[in-house]
Amino acid sequence: MKKILFYTLWCAIFTFSACSLFTLDNYEEPAETLQGVVVDAATGDPVLTDQSSEGIRVRLTELSWTGVETPTPNPDFFCRPDGTFRNTKLFKGTYHIQIDGPFIPLIREDDRGVPLADESQTMEISGVTDVRFEVQPFLKVEWAGEPTVSNGKITAQVRVTRAVSEADFRAKIEPMGGYSSAFLNVTDIQLFVSYSSSVGLRARDERWSNEIKYAGSAFNSLLGETITIQSSGTIPSGRTVFIRAAARINYDTPAGSGTKRYNYNTPLEMIIP
Amino acid sequence: MKNICKIAILGVLLFAGSCKDYLDEPPKYIVTDEDILSNDAGLKIYLARMYSYLPIEDFKYMGEWGVEFNSWLGALGIEATGEALTRDGICRPFTYERTPYWGMAFTLLRDANYLLENLPKYQENFAAPMYNNYLGQAYFVRAFTFYAMARRFGGVPLVTRVISYPAEKDVLEEPRASEEETWNQVLADFDRAAELLLPASPVRGYANRYVALAFKSEAMLYAGCVAKYNETVSGRLTGTGQKTGVRVIGFDAGTWQAASKRYFTEAYKAARIVMTEGGYSLYKKKWSATDREAQYQNMVDMFSDLTSAENIFVREYEYPTVTHGIDAYSGPFTFRGPLSGGTCPTLDFLELFDGFDRYPDGTIKVTSGNSNTQGNYLLFDSPMAFFANAEPRLRAYVIFPGDQFKGKTIEIRGGVYTAATPINPLFTDYSYAASGTRYQHSAAYTNANRTLFLSPNSGQSQVTVNYTDPNTGQAATMLAAGEDGPFFENGEATITGLYLRKYLNPDPAFVPGEGKSDQPFILMRYADVLLNAAEAAIELSLAGESSPDGSNLIQVATTAINDIRERAGATLLSGSLPATEEGRNIVRKERRKELAFEHKTKWDLRRWRVSHYEGRDGFWGEVRNKDMYSSTTNFRFRGLYPFFSTRSGKYFFDAHFQWVSEKTFSYGPVDYYFEIPTGEVAKSPVIDQQPNR
Repeated sequence: MKKILFYTLWCAIFTFSACSLFTLDNYEEPAETLQGVVVDAATGDPVLTDQSSEGIRVRLTELSWTGVETPTPNPDFFCRPDGTFRNTKLFKGTYHIQIDGPFIPLIREDDRGVPLADESQTMEISGVTDVRFEVQPFLKVEWAGEPTVSNGKITAQVRVTRAVSEADFRAKIEPMGGYSSAFLNVTDIQLFVSYSSSVGLRARDERWSNEIKYAGSAFNSLLGETITIQSSGTIPSGRTVFIRAAARINYDTPAGSGTKRYNYNTPLEMIIP
Repeated sequence: MKNICKIAILGVLLFAGSCKDYLDEPPKYIVTDEDILSNDAGLKIYLARMYSYLPIEDFKYMGEWGVEFNSWLGALGIEATGEALTRDGICRPFTYERTPYWGMAFTLLRDANYLLENLPKYQENFAAPMYNNYLGQAYFVRAFTFYAMARRFGGVPLVTRVISYPAEKDVLEEPRASEEETWNQVLADFDRAAELLLPASPVRGYANRYVALAFKSEAMLYAGCVAKYNETVSGRLTGTGQKTGVRVIGFDAGTWQAASKRYFTEAYKAARIVMTEGGYSLYKKKWSATDREAQYQNMVDMFSDLTSAENIFVREYEYPTVTHGIDAYSGPFTFRGPLSGGTCPTLDFLELFDGFDRYPDGTIKVTSGNSNTQGNYLLFDSPMAFFANAEPRLRAYVIFPGDQFKGKTIEIRGGVYTAATPINPLFTDYSYAASGTRYQHSAAYTNANRTLFLSPNSGQSQVTVNYTDPNTGQAATMLAAGEDGPFFENGEATITGLYLRKYLNPDPAFVPGEGKSDQPFILMRYADVLLNAAEAAIELSLAGESSPDGSNLIQVATTAINDIRERAGATLLSGSLPATEEGRNIVRKERRKELAFEHKTKWDLRRWRVSHYEGRDGFWGEVRNKDMYSSTTNFRFRGLYPFFSTRSGKYFFDAHFQWVSEKTFSYGPVDYYFEIPTGEVAKSPVIDQQPNR
């Protein structure tokens, strides 16, 4: 009887060991790194953004993986506010890298899906791989002076200019179909205020952030001018907040998503006396 | 010897076996097509299965779950429709369903296709009308399923045949059709169903011709709106699939206009047939033109009366075998069992209705000034005095503070205010930017000399306020919050100051509990059809189309709206509906009011394309300034909170953004089409993801 039990156990152990019970997963863990930067093709400055689904989206599609017939994109990730991105958990292989953000789309097709241009990149990722995207942002947003604080309100001066000329925009977007001159209109200027240094659309405090909206082409005459925007509400004294301005045009990227992404300036730290 | 015997017996058996096809005879324990499809009893079983998997939305549906037939936390209208709020994460915008309606749909389509392909083999067993009726049932189920998929995903694989497995890959794989082809399939299947089904079903609960036509009008209204209002979303909401190049969402720039007119025409025609031939009518058993109490009671009763002539398609329940739990989750706090307050109607919803004083901007008036921040609070002898002229329909849908439910007064009180009258507004800012401020942050509460008393919770946590009754001069006490809340740290009582009444069991003897409720859910009623006809009529007039059946479009729409308003006790239209966007908005607003808490509004908001920021002015059916309740990214809803003033012995109301368990919503144009389950896209060489994701 004892013997039977012994043999049974012995067999059981053998059976389990066949399922690699005692070994770890034999697939190498994803350890490759892709790091990149998105810069303005004209000036070489990084394209500043907001780290959220309305910022610059990075979409990787692994082409070398043959387990499926049609490669599907990896889960999307997003650029950091300074326009760089980094993913340290990738499998070694060949990837197609596409980014979408507040700039002329890299992949352009007409309404029937016929490719017009493709500036996305396909590369072998192994070890630490660097990638650089040179894009044409829609707008450039800058501080036009030191923001001032009085009575818990921040007054900021912002200058917005086009980073891509109207003619260039039209030449590249019109062939995609459904073109409207209203695409170029600047729709709003935002002043985001937050306790967080990663201040932006999704990390703002709605009590204090403010916006100025512009109907139709009303903003055109203000391009390059100094625009004054004040925070709303009263920020309690003694606090440190971060502010950032942003603006956008009436054009969604990728086309059809309805997401009109903002171009940002650099965040500033403000102490409320 | 023994062995020889055995071999002999075996030999005999084998020998005998060759005489008859024993091995080919189906075993007795397997149910065959013959058993099921050749007789009424078998088909009843077959149809019962199809109906129990039909993607209906009733007490067991919620945007968070998707089609799971799951009664847990039963609540109505909480998908950021503005109708109601609840404390949990299940209260979120209708941007996806936890269980996407994909795999289950193909199982049901297969059942319908199987019946369509195999029933003809047994045609001689049935009388012609019954045979057609069975085929009609299959077409109805198929149409209903494609409709459920199309409004979620746009173009879907149109599987209209039984696919046998195993087979070649190209037989098994069916790519997504274009959105236009998908709606055309929905149209064709509803038409076939309406042609084949009997005018009255021989079995209670099955679809009949008018059920098919009523759903057809609803589906075609959806299709017509998608074709038309996709154009209002910036950059035209459309795109082609990456793998197939098929226009899986939206319409071609050249065809959308014709398609939208065609679908609106179909919607109108179908609704008109139900109106002229169906024999249905609005429920008015207790209604009286002069008695508002009777109008209210009539609209309470109509949702549980199975003999109602308004009911077109109903999901019935029966205790103790087939039950749900709406009363266990969405009743008032004092009747909780085990939960309560799952559906708390909002003030924004209440503002759709007649019978309240308004500020110049259209919001409800609670102070003597021209806005929330001006003047002093208006004082009322009792909370119900505020609702004295409220539209009877609203009272039938919502429990007001101080109204009766199950023989008990529902005591809703936000707090007790002890300072002198007249009372200035508790806050200086009621705008969206200040929506995060709560009563706990108000000066009256935080001052050392506290004049506003609030309760964090029920029972022991209730704060007792001692005061002198101004009428009698006697010492009196009062609990800060009402017995039914709101409690600022407990979202299980009301969180908006209101409770749901519609669909709750009003019987005082009924004890709520999980799986104890058996009220029916009305999936389609005559008022739906009237509203479909009215909306299609206005859309056709706007498009400059003529009436498809010779009836006067505007006349039909005006009568439909007035019939519904008359029954509801609302103010009738002063003239004919204008054939303008304004007229269309009157119809939309009426629809939002009449069909609230019936799982219809979230689809209406979707097809009108009014949830994303640029379109959000139209969110309420009528035009309301979106900036009053939203920022570019988020939006929130408001509650109506009654407070007791000890100095006057009266009540005042404060209109404020949701005080307890605050919910913030966001919605973008990508959400108008749900994501195709990623696993389905990854494993198939032909199934496309939405191109704008």
